[in-house]
Amino acid sequence: MSTILKRSSRNFLWQHPWQLVLAILDIALGVAVVIAIDLAMESSLKSFNQASQAMSGTATHRIIASDGGLDEKLYSRLRVEQGIANLSPIVTGYVKLTQPDPDEDNFKLIGIDPFIEKSLHSGWQSGQPENSTRDLLTRLLTEPNGVLLSEKTAQQLHLQINDQFKVVTDQGTQQLKLIGLFSVNDAVSEQISAKLIITDIATAQEVLGLFGRLSSIDVVIEQDDPATLAAIQQSLPGSALLVSIDSQAESMREMTRAFAINLKALGLLSLLVGMFLIYNTMTFLVMQRRRLIGSLRLLGVTRQQIFKLVIGEALLLALIGTVVGILLGIALGQGLLYLISGTINAIYFRIDAATLMITPFQLGKGVLLGISATLLAVLPPAYEATQLSAVKVLARSQLELGSRRLIKTVGLASILLILGGLVTAWFSGQSITLGLASIFLILFGFGLLTPAITLLFTKIFERIFGRFLGILGSLPVRMVAAEISRTGIAIAALMIAVSATIGMDLMIGSFRQTVAQWVHASLPADLYVSILGDKMTAEKARSDHHLKDEIAKLAGVQMLSSALHTKLIADNQLTKISVFELNESSKQGFIFKHNVADNLWSRFDNQQTIIVTEPYAYHHAVKIGQKIRLKTDQGEQAFEVIAIYADYSGDQGHLAMSRQNYQRYWPDLGYSGIGVYAKDGTDLKQLESRISQLLTTQQTVKSNQGIYKASMEVFEQTFTITETLRWLSAAIAFVGVFSALMALQFERTRQLGILRAIGITSRQLTVLIISETGLMGLIAGLLAVPVGFIVAYVLIFVVYQRSFGWTMAFYFDAGVLYQGVALAFIAALLAGIFPAMKMAQTHPAEALRTE
Amino acid sequence: MTTQAAISIQQLNKSYQESGQQHAVFNDLQLDVKQGEFIVLLGRSGSGKSTFLNLISGIDPPDSGKVIINNIDITALSEHDRTLFRRHHIGFVFQSYNLIPTLTVAENLLLPLELIKRVSRKDHDHVEELLAKLKLSDRLDSYPDRLSGGEQQRVAIARALIHDPDVILADEPTGNLDLDTAEQVLELLDILVRKAGKTMIMATHSQEVIGKADRVLSIQNKTLHTR
Repeated sequence: MSTILKRSSRNFLWQHPWQLVLAILDIALGVAVVIAIDLAMESSLKSFNQASQAMSGTATHRIIASDGGLDEKLYSRLRVEQGIANLSPIVTGYVKLTQPDPDEDNFKLIGIDPFIEKSLHSGWQSGQPENSTRDLLTRLLTEPNGVLLSEKTAQQLHLQINDQFKVVTDQGTQQLKLIGLFSVNDAVSEQISAKLIITDIATAQEVLGLFGRLSSIDVVIEQDDPATLAAIQQSLPGSALLVSIDSQAESMREMTRAFAINLKALGLLSLLVGMFLIYNTMTFLVMQRRRLIGSLRLLGVTRQQIFKLVIGEALLLALIGTVVGILLGIALGQGLLYLISGTINAIYFRIDAATLMITPFQLGKGVLLGISATLLAVLPPAYEATQLSAVKVLARSQLELGSRRLIKTVGLASILLILGGLVTAWFSGQSITLGLASIFLILFGFGLLTPAITLLFTKIFERIFGRFLGILGSLPVRMVAAEISRTGIAIAALMIAVSATIGMDLMIGSFRQTVAQWVHASLPADLYVSILGDKMTAEKARSDHHLKDEIAKLAGVQMLSSALHTKLIADNQLTKISVFELNESSKQGFIFKHNVADNLWSRFDNQQTIIVTEPYAYHHAVKIGQKIRLKTDQGEQAFEVIAIYADYSGDQGHLAMSRQNYQRYWPDLGYSGIGVYAKDGTDLKQLESRISQLLTTQQTVKSNQGIYKASMEVFEQTFTITETLRWLSAAIAFVGVFSALMALQFERTRQLGILRAIGITSRQLTVLIISETGLMGLIAGLLAVPVGFIVAYVLIFVVYQRSFGWTMAFYFDAGVLYQGVALAFIAALLAGIFPAMKMAQTHPAEALRTE
Repeated sequence: MTTQAAISIQQLNKSYQESGQQHAVFNDLQLDVKQGEFIVLLGRSGSGKSTFLNLISGIDPPDSGKVIINNIDITALSEHDRTLFRRHHIGFVFQSYNLIPTLTVAENLLLPLELIKRVSRKDHDHVEELLAKLKLSDRLDSYPDRLSGGEQQRVAIARALIHDPDVILADEPTGNLDLDTAEQVLELLDILVRKAGKTMIMATHSQEVIGKADRVLSIQNKTLHTR
């Protein structure tokens, strides 16, 4: 294409820097949010994988165990009896440093077998020369309580080789000696090794009090040799499981799949809002050049060339916007990483150190997304540009007439989209993606319908305003309606962002209410003792029983209940289980999802039965009467499911069985919590204080109110990321509305100049423009209410149920709706202030000169 | 025609900045316009005719000098007060009509009245009367884009007169019209403005209008010349 032709178009863009910058910003923000979520989510999972693989090196499999860990005799048995050589026993635990700051994060203490470690080439060895690694491993064997730290960590702790330092564990304070430093050769390993202490296995067992126990055993099995696999499987006790390193990573990914899909959907929501705005901006840029395009057509420029010109320009803007978006996304991703890994820590599994990891694939995805979204949004205006007449430049009003015809056609299409969305929601089966797609269809449909509904609204407002405020008062309404092709899209973008906000607010509110009722019902005891500590330690079970006996003896204690939260192996997977010792009151704390038989609790206590949580039943398609096979030392045992109950403590769900049943097959691991029921008239404060005198630092006592408060805090924390992303998409809509309003005001500079010429003061002009933008916000807000309501309904009854297996009641909160309308109104008002002030300051003489 | 000076322009200077350089538009302009006088302003394109009208209306402030209308020095007023002054005392007719596209014909006429006072039934009647005089009775509720160029300019003239201003400023009012329509519009302006005893300054290229004017001025070399 002719360079001069391109220049004629590009010069126009340079002459409108505001619009150019805002167009790029629209693209950049949409891309940034998607990239940030993708990077943060993937990095969290990769950090977990890399951290777990940092110690596994060339290992292909890992023997893992439930909370009780592995008996170290298993290691000898496998090595000596089965002759499996490539085994690496590992002991892990968490310790706190007494210096410099005891409130600092935990350090992970890893005990390794120095004899075998060298051959595994695990991550920490990556930056070491071979001789140096051998020396370090030899010193670990010979120096009592000797440990290794990364060079950087030692530097930060001001420790040098042969320095001693203290750590706190369940066993009390222990002294360690720094005997060597290792260096790593990449940023990710550096992050992982920052909170890592490596020692030999015997020291780790001693420091952590895990005598005779192992956390896991890494195994190298060449080409998945079936004989070796079978030999190991046969030797494993009921509490142990052989998993491939890859499948372990995959199962973590699977566990967080629903969470990831929901987050990514939020990112795409920002992109959807962004697409509306890109469309708006590009349409502005085309329409403002209708005179230029008309002149070019007159000179013989073909429609095809005009189309290429607009698309080429959009491509350039998309490229710049995408690059800016990716950079912004990386910065934003760093912030989101903290929130996402925090949520994963709270509800899925522990991530010790998360580092933002950027791969070319992810960046490529961002580029593709940014460019394709922009091109898709720019197709309609590019086509519109080719239709501009060569001989007659259409007046604005004629263009608007065309737009109104288009709005009617699009209105019909949008109704089909909305119906399509509702049908998709209804027939989406168990698919989360289809559930979310239905929300997108509904939002997109209503977005397209917005200009038509806006015209209806303006008719109503015009009558009201005209009657009470005269011509000047009805002018803002007329301006919205007269330029519906521009105002409609900005209103649609704002409506989508606000309705998503209302939908999510209603969903979170409903969820909060459901969880609050559940937590209340699940806390029948007066006080709860929480018992932490490593369940592998031999001491724990004994001391827990002792504590329970001591509490039972206290004056004012009527009865106790207990719970142990651990893991068992079901379907070759570690499965969470709660082991209950219930009394008549604590049995009332269960909310069943169906009618239960009178003999439920007697069957629960006395027969080989279990009950399952609602999410577990959903994810594993478990029905009442079905049997679940659990691995025990005496082989697999079948447990009949006799009830499904509500539980919102995690989205993977778990099993529950009586303590009697548990003790028949598995070792005693003590308790995770003890419920204390006080006698009538007992002073609970005093009882709490008496109990706390019996507790160690690993144990706490809280009132049911305290537990309720803490539970609700965790609930709020898990929604921090959702809230953040929601506000991000609202912020994008705000920027978009701002840019649309700026462009709109620039386009009508002359019209505003006329108003000034006939005697409208700059203050009146400001009020006029702000009233118009406020009105746009009000319309967006009013429309967002029913749409938000539908979104909430689909989120609660389709998406969240499928994602997490929870059912919840719909709690209608009128406050959310008012807030939604107010949000749209205030956002639009604010977005209108600057364009209004700018226009009011524009000199009327200059405005009149503008064409 | 009365002998009192309705508009007095004293040592008016105006320049503008372009590419970092100051370009003078007017140097020491002097002019007295009597009440009810019809002045035609001639000049080449770019000579400053529109700027001159903008200075008189207070849309554009001068670099120095005075513009006194009805004994009020509008150059001494703030921008806000100049707007209020314009609202009451000036009527504008533009080359490209400049009607508000989002208002009907009747509303375009009512808007200047609404800016001054609370619009009454009497004002609605007045609008209808004026439009009837301009043969636009059937266009009362039409939007400007539905009108021909001549019709739009007739509405613009009505809008300039509706609030009974002292001064009418017309910037090439026939520039976008064909000869016949231009003649009709000029005829109308002459009749309505003259009858009402208004002072009018019209910037134009049209030779036909010269015969109707009380005085013909031209802008040459940054000053006003009587022809």
